[in-house]
Amino acid sequence: MNRRDFLKGLVGTSYVVLSGSSVLAPLNALAASGADASDGWLTTGSHFGAFKMKRKNGVISEVKPFDTDMYPTDMINGIKGLVYNPSRVRYPMVRLDFLLKGHQSDTTQRGDFRFVRVTWDKALRLFKDSLDEIQTKYGPSGLHAGQTGWRATGQLHSSTSHMQRAVGMHGNFVKKVGDYSTGAGQTILPYILGSTEVYAQGTSWSLILEHSKTIILWSNDPYKNLQVGWNAETHESYAYLAQLKEKVAKGEIRVISIDPVVTKTQQYLGCEQLYINPQTDVALMLGIAHEMVEKNLHDTKFIEGYSLGFDKFLPYIKGQTDGVEKTPEWAAKITGVSAEIIRDLAKVMTKDRTQMLMGWCIQRQQHGEQPYWMAAVLATMIGQIGLPGGGISYGHHYSSIGVPSSGAAAPGAFPRNLDEGQKPIFDSNDFKGASNTIPVARWIDAILEPGKTIDSNGTKVTYPDIKMMVFSGNNPWNHHQDRNRMKKAFHKLECIVSIDMNWTATCRFSDIVLPACTTFERNDIDIYGAYANRGLLAMQKMVEPLYESLSDFEIFTRFAALLGKEKEYTRGMTERDWLVKLYNDCKAANAGQFEMPEFDEFWKAGYVYFGEGKPWVRHAAFRDDPEINPLGTPSGLIEIYSRKIAHYEYDDCPGHPTWMEKAERSHGGPGSDKHPIWMQSCHPDKRLHSQMCESEEFRETYTVNGREPVYLNPEDAKKRGIKSGDVVRVFNDRGQLLAGAVVSDKFPQGVIRIQEGAWYGPVGEDGSKEGGAKIGAICSYGDPNTLTMDIGTSKLAQACSAYTCLVDYEKYQGKVPAVSSFSGPVEIAL
Amino acid sequence: MIKDAVNTETVEVNPVDQVRSTIYQLLSSLFAKEIDHKTLHDLTSDQAKQFWAQLGSEAEFKADVDVLVAELAKLNTDKALLELAADYCGLFLVGTKYSASPYASLYLSDKPAKKGDEPLLFGEQHQQMTQFLKQSQLQVQSEFPEPADHIAVILAYVAHLCTHSDETEQLSFINANLANWLGNFVTKVTEVDTGNFYQALVRLTHAWVKSDAEWLESELN
Repeated sequence: MNRRDFLKGLVGTSYVVLSGSSVLAPLNALAASGADASDGWLTTGSHFGAFKMKRKNGVISEVKPFDTDMYPTDMINGIKGLVYNPSRVRYPMVRLDFLLKGHQSDTTQRGDFRFVRVTWDKALRLFKDSLDEIQTKYGPSGLHAGQTGWRATGQLHSSTSHMQRAVGMHGNFVKKVGDYSTGAGQTILPYILGSTEVYAQGTSWSLILEHSKTIILWSNDPYKNLQVGWNAETHESYAYLAQLKEKVAKGEIRVISIDPVVTKTQQYLGCEQLYINPQTDVALMLGIAHEMVEKNLHDTKFIEGYSLGFDKFLPYIKGQTDGVEKTPEWAAKITGVSAEIIRDLAKVMTKDRTQMLMGWCIQRQQHGEQPYWMAAVLATMIGQIGLPGGGISYGHHYSSIGVPSSGAAAPGAFPRNLDEGQKPIFDSNDFKGASNTIPVARWIDAILEPGKTIDSNGTKVTYPDIKMMVFSGNNPWNHHQDRNRMKKAFHKLECIVSIDMNWTATCRFSDIVLPACTTFERNDIDIYGAYANRGLLAMQKMVEPLYESLSDFEIFTRFAALLGKEKEYTRGMTERDWLVKLYNDCKAANAGQFEMPEFDEFWKAGYVYFGEGKPWVRHAAFRDDPEINPLGTPSGLIEIYSRKIAHYEYDDCPGHPTWMEKAERSHGGPGSDKHPIWMQSCHPDKRLHSQMCESEEFRETYTVNGREPVYLNPEDAKKRGIKSGDVVRVFNDRGQLLAGAVVSDKFPQGVIRIQEGAWYGPVGEDGSKEGGAKIGAICSYGDPNTLTMDIGTSKLAQACSAYTCLVDYEKYQGKVPAVSSFSGPVEIAL
Repeated sequence: MIKDAVNTETVEVNPVDQVRSTIYQLLSSLFAKEIDHKTLHDLTSDQAKQFWAQLGSEAEFKADVDVLVAELAKLNTDKALLELAADYCGLFLVGTKYSASPYASLYLSDKPAKKGDEPLLFGEQHQQMTQFLKQSQLQVQSEFPEPADHIAVILAYVAHLCTHSDETEQLSFINANLANWLGNFVTKVTEVDTGNFYQALVRLTHAWVKSDAEWLESELN
């Protein structure tokens, strides 16, 4: 048959099969008129910085730092990829088996990525129906909607506020206390120093630079971690780090980085490193304290006037209570730091003005309360707390802490709770004898062992029987420990709902997935300058929400409408009304102190500048007069010995700082004969936790063989026949992952680093997607929490202990599976 | 006189070009969304059967037409439709080059190898297609919130060109914007598809485009 005849034969049959409308439409008048009127530069921001963004032809074409941001992060190159990235949740979706069978679905299929697209209306109805079922069958203890996290910046669209207010209008639910970053620190420090310290403004960098002679960076890498902030960062801390670098070069300030690895900060500053065996910091501190006492270097006057309980601690140092004297020689054996150096440290730290700057890593380990407590004791013994350039800080690596605050009031947020007088549809508060609030990192325990009672910060917590989880802007399949254990727990859940921008592993293990738009697809406000509160930022919508994603405000307004509570939810106000209200409330709070123009003027300008703050010394008022300005501790003083904690009678957190062996410890510690390598899973250099891992082109600037880098010591790697670029299998009895080898002399023997935030991408041993849902699957990308241990730090904080983790590794010999973290069911390289 | 799929004005169209246009339009709509009850009904009607039979009479299309017809016949339960929707979702709605997202930008092999630079979605190919559409006084439907380099958009645009432009223009567009990446797309869908329908559809699309380009070329010579 010739072609023309063939085509003619189709005439008359073909048009009948044409179904539905075309994906094309006539060009509308507005678009026909030429360039989009809204093209141009706009102002916005995120955790990664305040930005100027250019919109061209309806897409974000350029991102540049805010005019005042002199030290923008490289991650600015990943911003466009956050919006236009392959892992976007494009439409509301429901796991197929859940759609078919609801709460009776086969939960072991979770993670196999078999979803179908549904309409928003259908998805929100399924969400509501599930909540109805849970509240009816189990009451509020069956629902956990309190596992919340870093969200995206913006006070109006804060995902936590919207989800909890909307779900709260439906019924009550289980919540969390604490967070993964600083769980142990924020729990112990109120007993010792009277506040969490970790999220408090600290002594201004300018005073540290002026007065400090010695700075101790204890397990602290500010140059890496200051790239991101809780609000829009403008990176002012980096100007001070640059000055510090100069002072180090000139010998005016001695900076010692006490750390098993050579940190990014150490490399930048060109400062000294004091190597220490992982997890042994408390032993080193005790050795230093012993030497201070021995040589009478400690400030007895300060100890007497400002602290409580040194007399109860001293016998422990001297070995009178446990028969082990905490001499430098004793400490040397555990820490790998010579007794001579320990003695010298005691001298150096007490000789001149010494500022201790603590990082957060060492409290994310078993007994993570102890190093923070003992460091406070050391600072007390040095006696410089409250002096400029002296004392101790637990936050100078975070969110511009140390940059003086403007003092202006920040804008409020869309309300997280119900308004006064509002009641949920399911109003029961009967948690069936279980607690309504549980420590943040213990939720998997609760799902696995409902009804169990544990000790927690002086109280008893009884685990609720959780049957449903709701996550919004939060990815616990990144930050929680032990993936295989999580899978077991998730098998027990009837329904999981995730609201997110991208297909995080949490979405993947959910039943209902709702697409939220990114920060850059909605209007919002927030402060910029992080803790410096340098000004107010107009976060102007760059582009309309992509695909069928919606803003958090819109998602939960629709959800509230399903409950018949739309008016209650929004208070009858539109998104713009809320924006103006949050601005005007902030303006009123700052009246007379900080001038703020009318809203429209602010929005046009893109920001309001609050001005510079005044240099400030943490704990100066307390030092000035501890009776008038007491700390928030029970005694008002620094508590070297805490009667309150001692009274709890916890074996893993006694009444004074104590060295305790870990469940797993490298360099001769428990478990090191089987798995000799300590794995550190620190905060990433090129991400904010798991945020931005999905930004594909940016990710490709640091991946190795498409995988998360694992940093290896040269000798260890050589012993295993591994060179840079190899695919490495890292494993222990809890799990296994593949990662890309980077052999580097910055890492000592017995230590590897895999940065947390690497997206979990499980596949079966055969590389199959079905295998990925199974317990024992291998992570194809390199998520370190495949390997970490899911135990509490102690009965006090019950915080996460990700840093107590031993592994081993080998060159991967099998057929290397493609990475499955960032997209669909099966991945085969093109 | 046949109504154009997009523009409402009636135009004088040669029946052969209209057939070609309709086939492009049909392929476009099968990639644009999951098969629902109405589409299934349309695709399995008696007249549709004639259409499939005629299309399958050409050797290069037969195997895939047979698969499509057989698969359509199996869609007699809600569950079967949902399973197919899950295949569609896994292929086209999540992920990109590791699944089989239907965006031209992901399959063009001559894209710049620069790292950490341009994202692939809503990138150059999207802009280029938007320009093409604009020149023809068209745009992507607001109900179809996808980048303009989505295969459904490109196929719908060829459907439009079939009845609105000369053969030279049609051929050059097909060669520069469709035929040059469909091969890679076929490979990907065939590797990744958990069912049979979409791999048959994508192979049929590829075969159709290839043969249509040959036909246009022969017409021009």
